Amino acid sequence: MESVFKFALHMGEALKGELIIDAHAHMGTWYNFHIPENGTPASMVHAMDLLGIRTSIVSPHICIGPCYTEGNRAAYQAAKEFPGRILPFVTINPNYPESEIIAEIEHWDKEGIIGFKFHPQCHNCDACHKHYYPVFEFCQERGLPILSHNWTGAPVNGKDTLYGLAEMFPRVTFIIAHALSGWGPVDTNCAAAKALPNVMLDTTGSLLTYDAVPEAVRRVGAERIIWGTDNPFIDPRPGLGRMLMARISDDDKRLILGLNAKRVFGL
Amino acid sequence: MSVASGTRLKFLDCNMRIGRAGIVRPEHILDAPGLIAEMDYAGIDRALVYHAWSQEWDPAGGNRQLLNEIAGLDRFLPCYVGLPHATGELGDVDDFAAEVSQAHGAVRLYPKAHQYCLAEWCMGPTLHALAEAGVPVLLEMAQFEWNELAEILRHHPRLNVVVLQTSYRVNRYIFPLFQEFDNLYLETCTYQVMRGLEEVTRKYGPHRLVFGTGLPLTDAGGPIAQITYAELDLETKQAIAGGNMARLLGLEWPIQGSGA
Repeated sequence: MESVFKFALHMGEALKGELIIDAHAHMGTWYNFHIPENGTPASMVHAMDLLGIRTSIVSPHICIGPCYTEGNRAAYQAAKEFPGRILPFVTINPNYPESEIIAEIEHWDKEGIIGFKFHPQCHNCDACHKHYYPVFEFCQERGLPILSHNWTGAPVNGKDTLYGLAEMFPRVTFIIAHALSGWGPVDTNCAAAKALPNVMLDTTGSLLTYDAVPEAVRRVGAERIIWGTDNPFIDPRPGLGRMLMARISDDDKRLILGLNAKRVFGL
Repeated sequence: MSVASGTRLKFLDCNMRIGRAGIVRPEHILDAPGLIAEMDYAGIDRALVYHAWSQEWDPAGGNRQLLNEIAGLDRFLPCYVGLPHATGELGDVDDFAAEVSQAHGAVRLYPKAHQYCLAEWCMGPTLHALAEAGVPVLLEMAQFEWNELAEILRHHPRLNVVVLQTSYRVNRYIFPLFQEFDNLYLETCTYQVMRGLEEVTRKYGPHRLVFGTGLPLTDAGGPIAQITYAELDLETKQAIAGGNMARLLGLEWPIQGSGA
Protein backbone atom coordinates (compact mmCIF):
# COMPACT_ATOMS: atom_id res chain seq x y z
CA MET A 1 0.00 0.00 0.00
CA GLU A 2 1.31 3.43 -0.93
CA SER A 3 2.37 5.77 1.85
CA VAL A 4 -0.35 8.34 2.57
CA PHE A 5 2.40 10.96 2.60
CA LYS A 6 3.76 9.93 -0.78
CA PHE A 7 0.25 9.90 -2.20
CA ALA A 8 -0.35 13.44 -0.89
CA LEU A 9 2.92 14.55 -2.51
CA HIS A 10 1.91 13.27 -5.92
CA MET A 11 -1.55 14.75 -5.72
CA GLY A 12 -0.42 18.09 -4.24
CA GLU A 13 -2.72 17.59 -1.26
CA ALA A 14 -2.19 19.45 2.00
CA LEU A 15 -1.45 17.06 4.88
CA LYS A 16 -4.76 17.08 6.66
CA GLY A 17 -5.15 15.22 9.94
CA GLU A 18 -1.38 15.11 10.49
CA LEU A 19 0.63 17.17 12.96
CA ILE A 20 3.20 19.00 10.85
CA ILE A 21 5.56 21.37 12.67
CA ASP A 22 8.32 23.31 10.95
CA ALA A 23 10.95 23.56 13.68
CA HIS A 24 13.39 25.66 11.68
CA ALA A 25 11.89 28.71 10.00
CA HIS A 26 12.87 32.33 9.54
CA MET A 27 10.87 35.42 8.53
CA GLY A 28 11.25 38.61 6.50
CA THR A 29 13.68 39.86 3.89
CA TRP A 30 17.42 39.17 3.60
CA TYR A 31 20.26 41.22 2.12
CA ASN A 32 21.81 38.38 0.13
CA PHE A 33 18.92 37.54 -2.21
CA HIS A 34 15.37 38.34 -3.26
CA ILE A 35 12.52 36.67 -1.38
CA PRO A 36 9.21 37.12 -3.24
CA GLU A 37 6.47 38.62 -1.07
CA ASN A 38 9.22 39.72 1.33
CA GLY A 39 8.83 36.68 3.55
CA THR A 40 6.04 38.31 5.54
CA PRO A 41 4.32 36.30 8.27
CA ALA A 42 1.15 36.29 6.13
CA SER A 43 3.02 34.90 3.12
CA MET A 44 4.57 32.22 5.32
CA VAL A 45 1.22 31.17 6.74
CA HIS A 46 -0.21 31.05 3.23
CA ALA A 47 2.60 28.72 2.17
CA MET A 48 2.06 26.63 5.31
CA ASP A 49 -1.65 26.29 4.48
CA LEU A 50 -0.90 24.94 1.01
CA LEU A 51 1.16 22.14 2.55
CA GLY A 52 -0.70 21.49 5.78
CA ILE A 53 1.98 22.83 8.15
CA ARG A 54 0.24 23.64 11.41
CA THR A 55 3.02 25.58 13.14
CA SER A 56 6.36 27.16 12.25
CA ILE A 57 8.95 28.17 14.83
CA VAL A 58 10.69 31.27 13.54
CA SER A 59 13.84 33.30 13.91
CA PRO A 60 13.50 36.38 11.64
CA HIS A 61 16.38 37.02 9.27
CA ILE A 62 17.25 40.28 10.97
CA CYS A 63 18.06 38.19 14.08
CA ILE A 64 20.80 36.27 12.33
CA GLY A 65 21.94 39.53 10.70
CA PRO A 66 22.30 42.93 12.27
CA CYS A 67 19.80 43.11 15.15
CA TYR A 68 18.66 40.11 17.16
CA THR A 69 16.58 42.21 19.54
CA GLU A 70 14.51 43.74 16.73
CA GLY A 71 14.06 40.25 15.26
CA ASN A 72 12.89 38.81 18.57
CA ARG A 73 10.34 41.60 18.81
CA ALA A 74 9.13 40.85 15.27
CA ALA A 75 8.88 37.12 16.01
CA TYR A 76 6.73 37.65 19.12
CA GLN A 77 4.60 40.16 17.20
CA ALA A 78 4.02 37.61 14.40
CA ALA A 79 3.13 34.98 16.99
CA LYS A 80 0.45 37.33 18.32
CA GLU A 81 -0.90 37.97 14.81
CA PHE A 82 -0.97 34.27 13.93
CA PRO A 83 -1.57 32.44 17.20
CA GLY A 84 -0.63 28.81 17.08
CA ARG A 85 0.66 29.11 13.51
CA ILE A 86 3.85 31.04 14.21
CA LEU A 87 5.88 30.54 17.37
CA PRO A 88 9.04 32.49 18.23
CA PHE A 89 12.54 31.33 18.89
CA VAL A 90 14.52 33.74 21.03
CA THR A 91 17.66 34.42 19.02
CA ILE A 92 20.88 35.54 20.69
CA ASN A 93 23.88 37.33 19.24
CA PRO A 94 26.76 36.80 21.66
CA ASN A 95 28.76 39.68 20.20
CA TYR A 96 26.67 41.96 22.42
CA PRO A 97 27.26 42.42 26.16
CA GLU A 98 26.26 39.62 28.50
CA SER A 99 24.09 42.04 30.48
CA GLU A 100 22.06 42.85 27.37
CA ILE A 101 21.62 39.16 26.60
CA ILE A 102 20.45 38.38 30.13
CA ALA A 103 17.99 41.28 29.90
CA GLU A 104 16.70 39.94 26.57
CA ILE A 105 16.11 36.49 28.07
CA GLU A 106 14.34 37.97 31.11
CA HIS A 107 12.18 40.18 28.89
CA TRP A 108 10.90 37.33 26.70
CA ASP A 109 10.61 34.96 29.62
CA LYS A 110 7.64 37.04 30.70
CA GLU A 111 5.96 36.23 27.37
CA GLY A 112 7.05 32.58 27.40
CA ILE A 113 10.08 30.99 25.76
CA ILE A 114 9.93 27.63 23.95
CA GLY A 115 13.49 27.56 22.61
CA PHE A 116 16.50 29.52 21.41
CA LYS A 117 18.22 29.97 18.06
CA PHE A 118 21.96 30.51 17.56
CA HIS A 119 23.69 31.35 14.30
CA PRO A 120 27.42 31.22 15.09
CA GLN A 121 28.31 31.36 11.39
CA CYS A 122 26.46 34.62 10.65
CA HIS A 123 27.57 36.08 13.96
CA ASN A 124 31.14 34.86 13.32
CA CYS A 125 31.67 33.27 16.70
CA ASP A 126 32.09 29.91 18.42
CA ALA A 127 28.99 27.98 19.47
CA CYS A 128 30.51 27.99 22.96
CA HIS A 129 30.97 31.77 23.12
CA LYS A 130 30.87 32.79 26.75
CA HIS A 131 27.87 35.04 26.16
CA TYR A 132 25.83 32.00 25.12
CA TYR A 133 26.25 30.58 28.63
CA PRO A 134 23.31 32.50 30.15
CA VAL A 135 21.19 30.71 27.53
CA PHE A 136 22.68 27.31 28.32
CA GLU A 137 22.00 27.85 32.02
CA PHE A 138 18.45 29.07 31.41
CA CYS A 139 17.71 26.10 29.14
CA GLN A 140 19.28 23.67 31.61
CA GLU A 141 16.96 24.97 34.31
CA ARG A 142 13.84 24.85 32.11
CA GLY A 143 14.68 21.82 29.96
CA LEU A 144 14.50 23.82 26.72
CA PRO A 145 15.97 23.17 23.26
CA ILE A 146 18.52 25.24 21.34
CA LEU A 147 18.67 25.12 17.55
CA SER A 148 22.07 26.21 16.27
CA HIS A 149 23.23 26.60 12.68
CA ASN A 150 26.34 24.75 13.83
CA TRP A 151 27.90 23.54 17.06
CA THR A 152 31.53 24.10 16.23
CA GLY A 153 34.16 26.09 18.07
CA ALA A 154 36.76 25.76 20.77
CA PRO A 155 36.93 22.65 22.97
CA VAL A 156 34.67 22.55 26.02
CA ASN A 157 36.08 20.65 29.00
CA GLY A 158 38.70 19.24 26.66
CA LYS A 159 36.10 17.82 24.28
CA ASP A 160 34.72 18.84 20.90
CA THR A 161 32.35 21.79 21.36
CA LEU A 162 29.06 19.93 21.05
CA TYR A 163 30.19 16.95 23.10
CA GLY A 164 31.44 19.19 25.91
CA LEU A 165 28.31 21.34 25.96
CA ALA A 166 25.87 18.44 25.71
CA GLU A 167 27.51 16.69 28.65
CA MET A 168 27.71 19.88 30.71
CA PHE A 169 24.01 20.71 30.13
CA PRO A 170 22.20 17.36 29.95
CA ARG A 171 18.69 18.84 30.25
CA VAL A 172 19.19 20.99 27.17
CA THR A 173 18.24 19.53 23.79
CA PHE A 174 20.94 20.53 21.32
CA ILE A 175 19.50 20.57 17.80
CA ILE A 176 22.06 20.42 14.99
CA ALA A 177 20.72 22.47 12.07
CA HIS A 178 21.24 21.26 8.50
CA ALA A 179 22.42 17.96 9.94
CA LEU A 180 21.72 15.87 6.83
CA SER A 181 23.06 18.16 4.09
CA GLY A 182 25.79 16.00 2.56
CA TRP A 183 27.39 12.72 3.57
CA GLY A 184 30.09 14.36 5.67
CA PRO A 185 27.49 16.02 7.91
CA VAL A 186 25.40 12.82 7.99
CA ASP A 187 28.38 10.83 9.27
CA THR A 188 29.48 13.44 11.81
CA ASN A 189 26.04 14.33 13.11
CA CYS A 190 24.66 10.80 13.33
CA ALA A 191 27.73 9.86 15.36
CA ALA A 192 27.05 12.77 17.72
CA ALA A 193 23.39 11.81 18.10
CA LYS A 194 24.34 8.22 18.86
CA ALA A 195 26.84 9.32 21.50
CA LEU A 196 24.78 12.08 23.10
CA PRO A 197 21.16 11.42 24.14
CA ASN A 198 20.27 15.12 24.23
CA VAL A 199 21.21 15.81 20.59
CA MET A 200 18.65 15.99 17.77
CA LEU A 201 19.25 16.24 14.02
CA ASP A 202 17.45 18.89 11.96
CA THR A 203 16.64 18.04 8.32
CA THR A 204 16.57 21.63 7.04
CA GLY A 205 18.75 22.38 4.03
CA SER A 206 18.80 23.13 0.34
CA LEU A 207 21.03 20.15 -0.44
CA LEU A 208 18.68 17.17 -0.62
CA THR A 209 21.34 14.48 -0.48
CA TYR A 210 20.01 11.26 -1.98
CA ASP A 211 18.79 8.77 0.64
CA ALA A 212 20.23 10.79 3.55
CA VAL A 213 16.97 10.80 5.52
CA PRO A 214 16.41 7.01 5.42
CA GLU A 215 20.09 6.45 6.23
CA ALA A 216 19.88 8.76 9.26
CA VAL A 217 16.77 6.92 10.43
CA ARG A 218 18.64 3.64 10.11
CA ARG A 219 21.56 4.99 12.12
CA VAL A 220 19.90 6.93 14.95
CA GLY A 221 16.14 6.25 14.76
CA ALA A 222 13.35 8.57 13.65
CA GLU A 223 12.75 9.85 17.18
CA ARG A 224 16.07 11.71 17.00
CA ILE A 225 15.29 13.64 13.82
CA ILE A 226 13.34 16.85 13.60
CA TRP A 227 11.93 18.50 10.47
CA GLY A 228 12.46 22.07 9.31
CA THR A 229 12.44 24.06 6.10
CA ASP A 230 14.20 27.45 6.46
CA ASN A 231 10.94 29.03 5.17
CA PRO A 232 11.06 31.72 3.71
CA PHE A 233 14.87 31.71 3.30
CA ILE A 234 14.12 28.59 1.22
CA ASP A 235 10.75 27.53 -0.14
CA PRO A 236 9.28 24.95 2.26
CA ARG A 237 8.11 22.59 -0.49
CA PRO A 238 11.43 20.88 -1.36
CA GLY A 239 12.12 20.03 2.27
CA LEU A 240 8.64 18.61 2.67
CA GLY A 241 8.77 16.65 -0.58
CA ARG A 242 12.03 15.02 0.42
CA MET A 243 10.35 13.73 3.59
CA LEU A 244 7.13 12.62 1.93
CA MET A 245 9.04 10.60 -0.68
CA ALA A 246 11.58 9.08 1.76
CA ARG A 247 11.73 5.29 1.99
CA ILE A 248 10.79 5.16 5.66
CA SER A 249 7.54 4.17 7.37
CA ASP A 250 4.65 6.58 7.73
CA ASP A 251 4.99 6.33 11.50
CA ASP A 252 8.60 7.46 11.23
CA LYS A 253 7.47 10.33 9.00
CA ARG A 254 4.95 11.39 11.63
CA LEU A 255 7.67 11.50 14.28
CA ILE A 256 10.01 13.55 12.13
CA LEU A 257 7.41 15.88 10.67
CA GLY A 258 5.76 16.88 13.92
CA LEU A 259 5.61 14.58 16.92
CA ASN A 260 9.28 15.02 17.82
CA ALA A 261 8.99 18.82 17.69
CA LYS A 262 5.85 18.66 19.83
CA ARG A 263 7.83 16.73 22.44
CA VAL A 264 11.06 18.73 22.30
CA PHE A 265 9.44 22.18 22.28
CA GLY A 266 6.71 21.20 24.77
CA LEU A 267 3.88 22.20 22.43
CA MET B 1 -7.48 26.59 -0.03
CA SER B 2 -5.96 23.75 -2.06
CA VAL B 3 -3.42 23.25 -4.81
CA ALA B 4 -4.33 19.59 -5.23
CA SER B 5 -4.21 18.48 -8.85
CA GLY B 6 -6.71 15.65 -8.52
CA THR B 7 -4.44 13.68 -10.82
CA ARG B 8 -0.82 12.57 -11.08
CA LEU B 9 1.41 14.74 -13.23
CA LYS B 10 3.64 13.25 -15.92
CA PHE B 11 7.26 14.14 -15.24
CA LEU B 12 10.14 14.46 -17.69
CA ASP B 13 13.34 14.85 -15.69
CA CYS B 14 15.93 16.87 -17.63
CA ASN B 15 18.70 16.46 -15.06
CA MET B 16 19.63 12.83 -14.44
CA ARG B 17 23.00 11.09 -14.56
CA ILE B 18 23.75 7.52 -15.59
CA GLY B 19 26.92 5.47 -15.37
CA ARG B 20 29.79 4.67 -13.09
CA ALA B 21 31.39 7.77 -11.59
CA GLY B 22 34.63 8.37 -9.78
CA ILE B 23 33.16 9.40 -6.46
CA VAL B 24 30.17 7.32 -5.45
CA ARG B 25 28.28 6.20 -2.38
CA PRO B 26 26.72 2.78 -1.88
CA GLU B 27 23.31 4.49 -2.22
CA HIS B 28 24.00 5.87 -5.68
CA ILE B 29 22.23 4.31 -8.64
CA LEU B 30 24.57 3.91 -11.58
CA ASP B 31 22.80 1.83 -14.20
CA ALA B 32 19.69 1.97 -16.33
CA PRO B 33 17.66 -0.72 -14.50
CA GLY B 34 18.35 1.00 -11.18
CA LEU B 35 17.34 4.38 -12.53
CA ILE B 36 14.16 2.97 -14.04
CA ALA B 37 13.25 1.42 -10.68
CA GLU B 38 13.86 4.79 -9.00
CA MET B 39 11.80 6.57 -11.66
CA ASP B 40 8.96 4.12 -11.06
CA TYR B 41 9.13 4.75 -7.30
CA ALA B 42 9.24 8.53 -7.74
CA GLY B 43 6.65 8.67 -10.51
CA ILE B 44 8.98 10.02 -13.21
CA ASP B 45 7.91 9.08 -16.71
CA ARG B 46 10.96 9.97 -18.81
CA ALA B 47 14.45 11.29 -18.20
CA LEU B 48 17.03 13.16 -20.23
CA VAL B 49 20.23 11.49 -19.03
CA TYR B 50 23.89 12.39 -19.41
CA HIS B 51 26.70 9.94 -18.78
CA ALA B 52 29.17 10.36 -15.92
CA TRP B 53 32.00 9.39 -18.28
CA SER B 54 31.20 12.35 -20.54
CA GLN B 55 31.63 14.64 -17.58
CA GLU B 56 34.50 12.96 -15.78
CA TRP B 57 36.50 11.20 -18.49
CA ASP B 58 35.92 11.98 -22.17
CA PRO B 59 32.86 13.60 -23.77
CA ALA B 60 33.17 11.56 -26.98
CA GLY B 61 33.65 8.24 -25.18
CA GLY B 62 31.00 9.08 -22.61
CA ASN B 63 28.47 10.00 -25.28
CA ARG B 64 29.06 6.65 -27.00
CA GLN B 65 28.69 4.84 -23.68
CA LEU B 66 25.46 6.73 -23.00
CA LEU B 67 23.94 5.56 -26.27
CA ASN B 68 24.98 1.98 -25.48
CA GLU B 69 23.49 2.00 -22.01
CA ILE B 70 20.13 3.50 -22.97
CA ALA B 71 19.74 1.68 -26.31
CA GLY B 72 16.22 0.31 -26.62
CA LEU B 73 15.04 1.90 -23.36
CA ASP B 74 12.29 4.35 -24.17
CA ARG B 75 12.29 5.84 -20.65
CA PHE B 76 15.50 7.70 -21.51
CA LEU B 77 16.46 10.48 -23.89
CA PRO B 78 20.14 11.20 -24.55
CA CYS B 79 21.88 14.26 -23.19
CA TYR B 80 25.22 14.48 -24.98
CA VAL B 81 28.11 16.50 -23.64
CA GLY B 82 29.55 19.07 -26.05
CA LEU B 83 32.93 20.70 -26.68
CA PRO B 84 34.38 23.49 -28.85
CA HIS B 85 34.45 22.52 -32.53
CA ALA B 86 38.09 23.42 -33.14
CA THR B 87 39.69 20.37 -31.53
CA GLY B 88 37.48 18.04 -33.57
CA GLU B 89 36.94 15.67 -30.64
CA LEU B 90 33.25 15.29 -31.43
CA GLY B 91 33.67 15.25 -35.21
CA ASP B 92 32.04 17.72 -37.55
CA VAL B 93 29.94 20.12 -35.57
CA ASP B 94 26.99 20.07 -37.98
CA ASP B 95 26.97 16.26 -38.02
CA PHE B 96 27.09 16.24 -34.22
CA ALA B 97 24.18 18.68 -33.97
CA ALA B 98 22.15 16.68 -36.50
CA GLU B 99 22.73 13.43 -34.59
CA VAL B 100 21.57 14.97 -31.31
CA SER B 101 18.56 16.52 -32.97
CA GLN B 102 17.53 13.24 -34.58
CA ALA B 103 17.66 11.53 -31.19
CA HIS B 104 15.49 14.28 -29.63
CA GLY B 105 18.41 14.91 -27.31
CA ALA B 106 20.15 17.89 -25.80
CA VAL B 107 23.72 18.99 -25.17
CA ARG B 108 25.21 19.67 -21.78
CA LEU B 109 28.35 21.80 -21.46
CA TYR B 110 31.07 21.80 -18.80
CA PRO B 111 33.30 24.72 -19.81
CA LYS B 112 35.07 25.05 -16.47
CA ALA B 113 35.64 21.33 -15.89
CA HIS B 114 36.61 20.72 -19.53
CA GLN B 115 38.82 23.81 -19.79
CA TYR B 116 37.34 26.02 -22.47
CA CYS B 117 35.50 29.27 -22.77
CA LEU B 118 31.91 30.06 -23.72
CA ALA B 119 32.88 33.16 -25.69
CA GLU B 120 32.12 33.37 -29.41
CA TRP B 121 35.75 32.88 -30.49
CA CYS B 122 35.71 29.48 -28.76
CA MET B 123 32.14 28.15 -28.76
CA GLY B 124 30.43 30.29 -31.39
CA PRO B 125 30.39 27.68 -34.20
CA THR B 126 29.19 24.89 -31.89
CA LEU B 127 26.42 26.99 -30.41
CA HIS B 128 25.43 28.20 -33.88
CA ALA B 129 25.16 24.62 -35.15
CA LEU B 130 23.09 23.53 -32.16
CA ALA B 131 20.78 26.52 -32.57
CA GLU B 132 20.28 25.76 -36.26
CA ALA B 133 19.51 22.12 -35.45
CA GLY B 134 17.04 23.12 -32.72
CA VAL B 135 19.06 21.38 -29.99
CA PRO B 136 18.78 22.87 -26.50
CA VAL B 137 21.90 23.48 -24.42
CA LEU B 138 22.03 22.73 -20.69
CA LEU B 139 24.43 24.60 -18.43
CA GLU B 140 25.01 24.10 -14.71
CA MET B 141 25.29 27.36 -12.79
CA ALA B 142 28.72 26.40 -11.43
CA GLN B 143 30.05 26.09 -15.00
CA PHE B 144 29.55 29.68 -16.22
CA GLU B 145 29.64 33.35 -15.30
CA TRP B 146 26.40 35.30 -15.66
CA ASN B 147 27.92 37.68 -18.21
CA GLU B 148 28.95 34.70 -20.35
CA LEU B 149 25.39 33.42 -20.27
CA ALA B 150 24.03 36.84 -21.29
CA GLU B 151 26.42 36.92 -24.25
CA ILE B 152 25.36 33.46 -25.42
CA LEU B 153 21.70 34.44 -25.24
CA ARG B 154 22.42 37.67 -27.10
CA HIS B 155 24.55 36.11 -29.84
CA HIS B 156 22.30 33.07 -30.35
CA PRO B 157 18.68 34.16 -30.01
CA ARG B 158 17.48 30.89 -31.58
CA LEU B 159 19.45 28.74 -29.15
CA ASN B 160 17.39 27.53 -26.19
CA VAL B 161 19.50 27.52 -23.04
CA VAL B 162 18.44 25.72 -19.87
CA VAL B 163 20.23 26.76 -16.70
CA LEU B 164 20.61 23.88 -14.25
CA GLN B 165 21.52 23.46 -10.61
CA THR B 166 20.89 27.02 -9.51
CA SER B 167 19.91 27.95 -5.96
CA TYR B 168 17.56 30.04 -3.86
CA ARG B 169 19.89 33.03 -4.31
CA VAL B 170 19.61 33.66 -8.07
CA ASN B 171 16.63 35.94 -8.72
CA ARG B 172 18.75 39.10 -8.94
CA TYR B 173 20.69 37.43 -11.79
CA ILE B 174 18.01 35.44 -13.52
CA PHE B 175 15.14 37.92 -13.52
CA PRO B 176 17.02 40.56 -15.56
CA LEU B 177 18.01 37.82 -18.00
CA PHE B 178 14.42 36.56 -18.28
CA GLN B 179 13.36 40.14 -18.94
CA GLU B 180 15.92 40.56 -21.71
CA PHE B 181 16.02 37.15 -23.41
CA ASP B 182 13.24 34.85 -24.60
CA ASN B 183 15.54 31.86 -25.10
CA LEU B 184 16.41 31.29 -21.44
CA TYR B 185 14.89 28.47 -19.36
CA LEU B 186 15.35 27.50 -15.73
CA GLU B 187 15.49 24.00 -14.33
CA THR B 188 13.61 23.73 -11.04
CA CYS B 189 15.64 21.13 -9.10
CA THR B 190 17.59 23.48 -6.86
CA TYR B 191 15.71 26.69 -7.65
CA GLN B 192 14.27 26.75 -4.15
CA VAL B 193 13.24 30.39 -4.02
CA MET B 194 10.21 30.94 -1.79
CA ARG B 195 7.22 30.84 -4.18
CA GLY B 196 9.76 31.10 -7.00
CA LEU B 197 7.81 28.99 -9.48
CA GLU B 198 4.73 31.14 -9.03
CA GLU B 199 6.76 34.35 -9.35
CA VAL B 200 8.57 33.27 -12.54
CA THR B 201 5.31 32.07 -14.06
CA ARG B 202 3.51 35.30 -13.20
CA LYS B 203 6.24 37.58 -14.50
CA TYR B 204 7.73 35.67 -17.43
CA GLY B 205 5.23 32.96 -18.36
CA PRO B 206 4.80 29.27 -17.56
CA HIS B 207 7.02 28.13 -20.44
CA ARG B 208 10.29 29.20 -18.75
CA LEU B 209 10.50 26.43 -16.17
CA VAL B 210 11.53 22.81 -16.69
CA PHE B 211 11.61 19.97 -14.20
CA GLY B 212 14.78 18.21 -13.09
CA THR B 213 15.85 16.16 -10.08
CA GLY B 214 19.62 15.75 -9.99
CA LEU B 215 19.18 11.99 -9.51
CA PRO B 216 21.03 9.91 -8.47
CA LEU B 217 22.90 12.48 -6.36
CA THR B 218 19.88 14.20 -4.83
CA ASP B 219 16.37 13.14 -3.83
CA ALA B 220 13.52 13.47 -6.31
CA GLY B 221 10.82 14.20 -3.74
CA GLY B 222 11.82 17.83 -3.21
CA PRO B 223 11.72 18.87 -6.86
CA ILE B 224 8.45 16.99 -7.35
CA ALA B 225 6.86 18.80 -4.39
CA GLN B 226 7.83 22.17 -5.81
CA ILE B 227 5.54 21.44 -8.75
CA THR B 228 2.73 19.36 -7.27
CA TYR B 229 2.29 21.91 -4.45
CA ALA B 230 2.70 24.97 -6.68
CA GLU B 231 -0.16 27.43 -6.63
CA LEU B 232 -0.60 27.10 -10.38
CA ASP B 233 -3.32 25.61 -12.57
CA LEU B 234 -3.06 22.00 -13.69
CA GLU B 235 -2.11 22.88 -17.25
CA THR B 236 0.80 25.02 -16.07
CA LYS B 237 1.99 22.37 -13.64
CA GLN B 238 1.93 19.74 -16.39
CA ALA B 239 3.89 22.06 -18.66
CA ILE B 240 6.59 22.57 -16.04
CA ALA B 241 6.60 18.87 -15.11
CA GLY B 242 7.29 17.76 -18.67
CA GLY B 243 5.62 19.67 -21.48
CA ASN B 244 8.08 22.55 -21.63
CA MET B 245 11.15 20.32 -21.86
CA ALA B 246 9.44 17.99 -24.32
CA ARG B 247 8.75 20.98 -26.57
CA LEU B 248 12.40 22.02 -26.42
CA LEU B 249 13.35 18.47 -27.47
CA GLY B 250 10.86 18.47 -30.33
CA LEU B 251 8.52 15.96 -28.73
CA GLU B 252 4.81 15.78 -27.96
CA TRP B 253 3.97 15.46 -24.27
CA PRO B 254 3.16 13.05 -22.82
CA ILE B 255 5.27 10.77 -24.98
CA GLN B 256 3.38 7.71 -26.15
CA GLY B 257 4.65 4.29 -25.10
CA SER B 258 5.69 2.73 -21.83
CA GLY B 259 6.23 5.07 -18.93
CA ALA B 260 5.82 5.31 -15.19
